[in-house]
Amino acid sequence: MAELSSCPGYHYRAAQVVQQVSLGKDTYRLRIQCPQIARAIRVGQFVMVRVHGLQDPLLGRAFAIYDTDEDCLDIAYLVHGKMTHQFELLRPGDQVDIWGPLGNGFSMAPTDHLVMVAGGIGQTPFLAMAQHYLGRRRYGAAEMPADAEPLANRVTLCYGARNAEYFAGLDDFRTAAVELRLTTDDGSLGEKGLVTDALQRVLDENTRADGLRVCACGPERMLASVCELVRSHNLNTDRRIPLEVSLETPMACGIGICFSCVAKIRQLDGSWDYRRTCIEGPVFCGEAIVWD
Amino acid sequence: MAGDHEIDLRVQIGSSLTLPNPILVASGTFGYAQEMSRWVDVGRLGGMIPKTITPFHRPGNSPWRTVETAAGMLNAIGLDNDGIDGFLTQHLPHFLPLACPLIVSIAGASPDDYVQMTRRLSCEPGISALELNLSCPNVAGGVDFGIEPNTGSRLVEQVRAATQLPLMAKLTPNVSNIADIARAAEDAGADGISVINTLLAMAVDWRKRKPMLGNVLGGLSGPAIKPVALRCVYQVAKAVSIPVIGIGGIASIDDVMEFLVTGASAVQIGTANFLDPTLSLRILDDLPNALRYLGARSVAEVVGTLQ
Ligand SMILES: Cc1cc2nc3c(=O)[nH]c(=O)nc-3n(C[C@H](O)[C@H](O)[C@H](O)COP(=O)(O)OP(=O)(O)OC[C@H]3O[C@@H](n4cnc5c(N)ncnc54)[C@H](O)[C@@H]3O)c2cc1C
Ligand SMILES: Cc1cc2nc3c(=O)[nH]c(=O)nc-3n(C[C@H](O)[C@H](O)[C@H](O)COP(=O)(O)O)c2cc1C
Ligand code: FES
Repeated sequence: MAELSSCPGYHYRAAQVVQQVSLGKDTYRLRIQCPQIARAIRVGQFVMVRVHGLQDPLLGRAFAIYDTDEDCLDIAYLVHGKMTHQFELLRPGDQVDIWGPLGNGFSMAPTDHLVMVAGGIGQTPFLAMAQHYLGRRRYGAAEMPADAEPLANRVTLCYGARNAEYFAGLDDFRTAAVELRLTTDDGSLGEKGLVTDALQRVLDENTRADGLRVCACGPERMLASVCELVRSHNLNTDRRIPLEVSLETPMACGIGICFSCVAKIRQLDGSWDYRRTCIEGPVFCGEAIVWD
Repeated sequence: MAGDHEIDLRVQIGSSLTLPNPILVASGTFGYAQEMSRWVDVGRLGGMIPKTITPFHRPGNSPWRTVETAAGMLNAIGLDNDGIDGFLTQHLPHFLPLACPLIVSIAGASPDDYVQMTRRLSCEPGISALELNLSCPNVAGGVDFGIEPNTGSRLVEQVRAATQLPLMAKLTPNVSNIADIARAAEDAGADGISVINTLLAMAVDWRKRKPMLGNVLGGLSGPAIKPVALRCVYQVAKAVSIPVIGIGGIASIDDVMEFLVTGASAVQIGTANFLDPTLSLRILDDLPNALRYLGARSVAEVVGTLQ
């Protein structure tokens, strides 16, 4: 088993909802007052959130960090099942239980051109990532000086949704100077097709041998295609584009104690083992994941 | 007034084990030592029971392994664990510095598996007791030692002969008469009875016409099962004279007190750890006041005092 970092600074809080605003169809940004987590959390880490006092739904749900300020953190959620239907009812002053920061986060290695690939609600970790890479914001306490150089010269988001209505937070990404490549299943906005088509085009356009990095988050099938695409692109072009993938494996505890969140991860000897994505992930190197 | 005195939280199990307090954490719901040490002072607990270990590494079941149900959850983890070798080399060293008693949960496919593991664990320092998991519902093909009094008691007898360590038998509620099984375990030499493990259950997605769990069946736990667990504690406590450790749906100090007065000498907190990693210690902090409310000066005074 990998050694668990023994960093201090894990927080469990009953915290107040400060604001709830619509970001797109069935998608909201929920602002929660929790300075301890807001200041510590790094890009690609997550929090567990549940509605305070409820026994049904019971367990917390995992959420990426959409953005933070000194006191608050924002999650962006799609209304989907039991917990997110409850979230829709939350008003300023209501309480949620929140714990974190959890998971490993993206490695945030400098690059010339960062390409983020998102499907559905998988765009949520990428606003913070883009702002961090472009030197507009820093996430994670004391990680870097405030006047640090940008970590990338260009940031592109390939973002696929069912249709135009479901894109969430496009203005936030535009404000952050992210180049957008949108795809929809029905062509109602951006290109008609899959987000992997958009990624393919970005990889084909940028022919520099190095200086590209890809990060992806979204449904499992999409992530598997992204891994396959980058793998075969690397093979065919002799490039070594690094790929990091954030898994959305269902979780019950988020803190490594229940063993529900496992994914098949390739081990050094080539075999695979079930690994807990909440503590060894959710971000894995693309090649490490064994897709069924 | 009892409130003016220190409250005695200790719990005696067998002749050799004194738990510092009755708040324990259940196997499979607290990880090993490292994960939870980030969140709470694990050493203050009355005892810690790490995830059940088996003779060999088990990868566990394929996902989905858990699914939430009304006020509870189903799990079919499939005893994912590093095996006894992995436990001794990778996990045990992290328990040793902790002040709380370590109770190691074991399971095997045959009585011999249990006996072999018991012999090895008995040679290790730092282990306070063993909990025999006679009841894991999630292991396909595994023999269930907890569903029939004779099989259960033969197993406990063999393990008893192999160790001096206090033994707790953890029982499944998925039986027709849990009191008979508890009595058989007591007669075979168990020092305590842990009840209950999860209830065999199922969840279905009718739109896909598919079971929700990769393993089809799973074990139900959480607040939803508390009434069943209380019933089992009640029946078992009447049937045996050794301590009963109550498990099932505990999520507050009120729940703990309900188990104590019903007949549990101690409790284990399970699923509730998942929604609040700090819960077990907050409950421990609330315990003295709850005992004072009943005018008691010790935990022992309230155990099994239903009127
Ligand atoms: C690291 C991480 C980050 C995440 N970040 C975000 C985020 O930023 N925004 C966001 O909206 N979501 C995010 N999620 C997903 C989120 O945690 C919830 O799963 C999601 O919000 C749905 O919760 P719910 O209670 O509304 O739905 P639920 O009621 O939990 O249902 C979810 C869906 O899964 C199905 N399902 C549940 N259990 C099973 C099972 N055992 N087998 C088969 N199907 C099952 C249900 O039928 C339903 O369709 C993230 C997940 C992870 C792991
Ligand atoms: C995810 C999960 C894993 C479990 N793993 C084990 C295990 O390995 N061994 C065991 O004896 N019990 C195991 N249990 C059962 C618990 O220890 C406990 O008996 C049961 O969950 C009832 O208590 P609760 O309602 O407080 O969770 C597990 C329970 C859950 C939810
Ligand atoms: S969600 Fe519980 S171990 Fe990962």
